[in-house]
Amino acid sequence: MRLFEYALVSGVLYGLFYGFIGVGLNLLFGVMRLVNLAHGDLVVWGGYLAYSLTTSAHVNALWAIPLSIPLALVGGLILYLITVPRLRRSEDTETSSLILFFGVSQVLVALATMKYGTNQVTLPELGNPVMIFGQPYAASLVASAALAVPALALFYYYLYRTRLGLATRAVMANEEEAIASGVRVRRVATSAFVIGVAFAAAAGPLATYMLGGINPTTGGGLTITAFTIIIIGSLGNPLGTAAGGILYGLASSLTQAYAAPWTGLVPYALLLAVVLLRPSGLFGRRVRVA
Amino acid sequence: MASGLAAASLSASQSAGASGNVITVGTLYANTGSFATSSMPEYAGLQFWVKQVNAAGGMYVAPLKKKEHVQLVSYNDQSDPATATTLYNQLLTQNKVNVFVADFGSVLTAPAVTIAKDQKHLLFDITGSGTSFFSSGPNPYVALTSLPVSAVWPKPVVGLLSSLKIKRVAILYCQNDFDQAQAAAIKGFLASEHLQPVYFQGVPTTQSDYSTIVQAIKGANPQAVLEFGYPNNDIAFLNQLKSTNTHFNFVLTPFPGQLPTLFSQDVGAKALAWEYTYAVPPIMRVNKVNLGLGLNAFLQKFAPGKESTVNFLNVAGYNAGLAVQAAFAHATSMSQLGIRAGLTAVSGKLQTLEGTFALNKAGAQVGELLPVAQMVPHGAGFQFKIVYPATAAQKAMVNGTPKYPAPRA
Repeated sequence: MRLFEYALVSGVLYGLFYGFIGVGLNLLFGVMRLVNLAHGDLVVWGGYLAYSLTTSAHVNALWAIPLSIPLALVGGLILYLITVPRLRRSEDTETSSLILFFGVSQVLVALATMKYGTNQVTLPELGNPVMIFGQPYAASLVASAALAVPALALFYYYLYRTRLGLATRAVMANEEEAIASGVRVRRVATSAFVIGVAFAAAAGPLATYMLGGINPTTGGGLTITAFTIIIIGSLGNPLGTAAGGILYGLASSLTQAYAAPWTGLVPYALLLAVVLLRPSGLFGRRVRVA
Repeated sequence: MASGLAAASLSASQSAGASGNVITVGTLYANTGSFATSSMPEYAGLQFWVKQVNAAGGMYVAPLKKKEHVQLVSYNDQSDPATATTLYNQLLTQNKVNVFVADFGSVLTAPAVTIAKDQKHLLFDITGSGTSFFSSGPNPYVALTSLPVSAVWPKPVVGLLSSLKIKRVAILYCQNDFDQAQAAAIKGFLASEHLQPVYFQGVPTTQSDYSTIVQAIKGANPQAVLEFGYPNNDIAFLNQLKSTNTHFNFVLTPFPGQLPTLFSQDVGAKALAWEYTYAVPPIMRVNKVNLGLGLNAFLQKFAPGKESTVNFLNVAGYNAGLAVQAAFAHATSMSQLGIRAGLTAVSGKLQTLEGTFALNKAGAQVGELLPVAQMVPHGAGFQFKIVYPATAAQKAMVNGTPKYPAPRA
């Protein structure tokens, strides 16, 4: 029973972090139908920023989160201007973006290898374990979950409480109708892209803790995880992203507890089940076809 | 795979002396991906051997009765077994190398083993010690050069557990040949003493989250915890223990002994205190050799002034080169079986900085057995103490007694 309790709490905490990872990708895919295969690599670069801060300035790794946001906004805007306008003119945006961002991913991996080498890097633990229901959880795990909650809330606020968010949802639902309604799609797309990149970079320091360290190729697995979460939870819905993350975290944690050899399989079996039974995701709305 | 091929690059070493009388040695390395940490130092060791041999005018090739220079032909497999499969084939069919040397570890060696058997081409397997490579009877085309076959590794660990009267053992392993073989071997050894592990689970080799697993192990109340993984697994597992202040009286992981600098940086000396690992060179120092450099000389020449940065994988890469050198020096012909006959001739007699090189009929290394070491706090860091030998001959190397139960750091 103690193990079950631990797995549940751990699954929820990890799940919130996974939700954080999924937010940025959700925006990019939901708004622009861009398959950003470099999403995980952007997260990893956020982690490397934290590593640089802790090794050179000896400050708490979490300072990298606020620092990464303006850097990512600028970097994201540059990346957007170089890539996205051309992509959106292509006949098949999704396929073209998949190829293009695969290239971006490889570049980010190569740059990380040149800068940081191939070895795994870790961050100093944030503090003593936190006791929850009498059991110890890593301080970094609790901090990650605690930071993921406001991040997800911010995402919710942006989508449902701002004019830009309203326009974003309009584009997500139907781009042509949004244009006809006077929505400035390019502005929405730019915002969604840079905000998505900023969310990815901000999740980086937390990912370094959650994954036991990062190396230049860690991003590939993270991208797959993020796609899994947003598909489980449904596109464009922050609650769905949180729920997808928590479900993924619980599946992973409970499998670790009771069927460790299946840890790599169960979350993806869950994905298959969701896709087959509810293709629009747990929180997705039915698609209007006419 | 396409990406791997696109990025695969022929190393500069091929262009040097691409024509003329040279012995070509093909190999792969991984400069990205999860095995880069281990592959690159191993590759550096092999490159060092080539440099040393060529500086000495080449290596003696018995069938030609003269010395020949060595040319290394190498490609980057990016830690991807599928890419490695294509590139190993390329080494044999396009580059037509005389012999080939596998990349690091069982995962990247597995495709080479299959190709070596199919194409009857001699493979020097440096660290791919998966039992399955050597379990299908006599095999003249694969030779394990630097580590004993995985199933043999844990033998001294069992001896140590037994000497400490430990009966409740938890075993966590990654699902690959290397780790599964060790886990199965320990389980078998325990069974022979009518004991069952209190925890015995495999996890994917990509596992990075050990939070709940550690609690599950804790719940089994073991006296000893053995975690068999690759470096990234070991690091994540040990950091999980650290971040939750989880203490076990006996913890063993394979890689801190091979990559002590990396583990010091990523896990920290405090968290490594009193942990056990396999003692490999340079922890284990062999200076009495009949081929190549002894360990002390190797350290000085490989990294002058930075001897402490040299790790086992550097040694392993160099040692593979020595095995190639010995094979050609005693080869009966230039055919693959003729070169392999050279290895058979030196088996049990060749003394290198890794100890006695000895192969069984299946090509498994049975000579270079590894003692067990414990990491003992020393100032702000730690030092390795060999606490249990793998052979009677290694008893002289023992320089510490196991501290059990491990004190809390």
